[in-house]
Amino acid sequence: MWREKLELHKSNRIAALYPSCKFLVVVLYSVCSLLLGSIGVGEGQYSLYLIPWFLVVPALCVASGIGPRFWKAIQKVIFIAALILVVQALLIPSEKIVWQLGFLKVYESGLRSGINLSFSVMNIAGIFVWMFQTTENREIARALENSGMNYKVTYVFISTLQMIDVLGKNSRTIMNAQRARGVETEGNLIVCAKAFFPSLVPLILGAITNTEERVLTLESKGFDVQCEKTHLFNLERSGHEKVVDVIAIAVTVAVVVWRVVLWIL
Amino acid sequence: MDTVIEFKNVTYSYPLTDVPAIKDMSFAIERGKFYGVIGENGAGKTTLCALIRGFAPSFYQGTLQGQVLVEGKPTTDFGPGELSLKIGYVFQNPFNQISGVKDTLFEEVAFGLENFGVPVDEIERRVTEVMKLTDIWQLAEKNPFELSGGQQQRVALASIIVLKPDILVIDEPTSQLDPEGTEKVFKIIEMLKAEKKTIILVEHKVDLIAEYADEVMVLRNGKLIRFGDKQEVLSDMSLLDEGVQLPQMAILGNKLRQAGVPLDTIPVTEAQADEVIGRAMQKGRA
Amino acid sequence: MQPEKKKYSIKTDFSMLAILIIPIAVAVNFVGGQLASILKLPMYLDTIGTIFSAMLCGPWVGAVAGALTNIVTGIANPVNFAFIPVNIIVGLVVGFLARANMFSTWWKWIISMILMALASIISAAPIAVLVFGGVTGSGTSIITAAAMAAGANIWAAVIGTEGVFTVLDRIISFVISMLVIKVIPPRTLVKFGCGEMYIKKPVAAAAQEEPADTTESK
Repeated sequence: MWREKLELHKSNRIAALYPSCKFLVVVLYSVCSLLLGSIGVGEGQYSLYLIPWFLVVPALCVASGIGPRFWKAIQKVIFIAALILVVQALLIPSEKIVWQLGFLKVYESGLRSGINLSFSVMNIAGIFVWMFQTTENREIARALENSGMNYKVTYVFISTLQMIDVLGKNSRTIMNAQRARGVETEGNLIVCAKAFFPSLVPLILGAITNTEERVLTLESKGFDVQCEKTHLFNLERSGHEKVVDVIAIAVTVAVVVWRVVLWIL
Repeated sequence: MDTVIEFKNVTYSYPLTDVPAIKDMSFAIERGKFYGVIGENGAGKTTLCALIRGFAPSFYQGTLQGQVLVEGKPTTDFGPGELSLKIGYVFQNPFNQISGVKDTLFEEVAFGLENFGVPVDEIERRVTEVMKLTDIWQLAEKNPFELSGGQQQRVALASIIVLKPDILVIDEPTSQLDPEGTEKVFKIIEMLKAEKKTIILVEHKVDLIAEYADEVMVLRNGKLIRFGDKQEVLSDMSLLDEGVQLPQMAILGNKLRQAGVPLDTIPVTEAQADEVIGRAMQKGRA
Repeated sequence: MQPEKKKYSIKTDFSMLAILIIPIAVAVNFVGGQLASILKLPMYLDTIGTIFSAMLCGPWVGAVAGALTNIVTGIANPVNFAFIPVNIIVGLVVGFLARANMFSTWWKWIISMILMALASIISAAPIAVLVFGGVTGSGTSIITAAAMAAGANIWAAVIGTEGVFTVLDRIISFVISMLVIKVIPPRTLVKFGCGEMYIKKPVAAAAQEEPADTTESK
């Protein structure tokens, strides 16, 4: 009965796809993105195809039912991408100037590399965000185990993911708590350094010495035992994997072919 | 006497130290009894636990002389995981006992059973049962990282209990908990005692040892200076000079005796104090 | 007397302890990176964990910790994906230096730090220039961009800015790692593959007098 609770009955068919299928989509999408980025359009050879390609990501996310969560996660990426674009376009001098407003000059080569880079970043980040927002850690764990990966490798991967999850959630709380305690979180470099470094060493030390007990705990729970392990959580294929695989591969092949054709011409 | 654990002239040193942590210790643990282990810090209590469970010398390395036998076999002869099913171990720090790969408590408690290949139906049944008994059932869907220390320690206990070991080694489980957390942990320990498990509990809270233990082991500087019936050991005032804390009732009883109150025995628990003082008062009236 | 040359193998490198250190190393790298960006420091501070895990457990463990860090943080910021090789190289270099006992005396430290910093610049600069045109969106990028705007050649700008800050970053990270390792008690250090090297001499001498029948096993 509890197991049924655990079993994720995802109503959304896209979100319910098996993790390896999603991973294939991620990889192929990134490959296509890189290929499309190498196609220059117009006078300045800008990688404009990346822009409509990027729209696939939010479309996918909305279709997977995670629109709002995706938006939250992608904001930071958009900021970085915008930063890259602006810095590249405005600050990397080259002979050709595309546009000028007062002393602000938009350089062509900068604009070109800026567009390429910033949208590549958004594309790849976006598709990864999609994958991780629609997949729970335990699904990834089961998929890795099913694929025959050594259980120790799976353990390292999942415990790292879990730890980052927890840290990420708590870091804001910690920062706020520190701020409330009057610890300087702004201010000049020396002040911050003084506040930050002394607490870092004991923290790391504590984490390392605690690791010994962790090892023993795992051993006490049979981690090292060589036997067939059972699993409380059952990961099932949603049945649509083949269709999605085919579509993804077909699109990728199309892009490759197109790219090659353009290159030959 | 059904001996389940035996120490024969055991001397053990941690690696790179020249002073042994445990010196020439010999004793026998009987099945089904509750043993309290007391002594000041550094006396070797945790080392003792590590030796019983076989973490020393296999994990901690170091030098072992003499024999540590579990059910007649030296701990070093057991294969990986075998001892885990026989001896459950609970550490002091609740946070270190989380597996780190499960995001709900239910799965966390089930982790050990999954590793041992227990069939899934049975896992579900056992985990549900144990979680209800340890009063964490209502937390089943929470993330183990988001619990208080007391809750995490109950989870640690549950994760071990669910493996159904006959012997339990519990090392200062409540030292990092508040009074409420401590109480809940001891309720669980009480339950384990009722199930006639062999329990070895290291605790500083001597009053609680006095409540639950059958026999008491006193350690000092790596030596076993007293081993015997709880009543005898915990009412022995000479232990105060050895840096050992005695139950409040015993100290009170002793002071009353010294003040002339005719107590026939020095009590070690409240309930016992009630009886003994009651009898003394009867004598006074007679 | 020099101890016998220790035989290393990947299997023993990845003991349970090493495996559990990896998530901690990744977490420390992650927190370091977060802090550096929140405090707007022109440094990354995302190799502290790689360094101490490599010093304790060897090059392969360090490399895995480094790679995993950039993979996991790359999900949120794909720029980090491109720098996976840099973190791996830090892990490998520090790990091999550790095995060669290059952290025992102060002058060896300095040589090791220089080697590490060099390795980092050599691996990071090409990626920064060839993949990103010198600007990666991190704190140093603004400075690099300003240098390029002022007319500097792209390689010079990158090495001059990122290079300098990378060296600074590695020195600080390395110092933190050394401090941490110095404070770890010897009986814990022994359990790590390369841990024995950091144990101070006097205690090691006492260990020579241990009784003959040693029951040592892992």
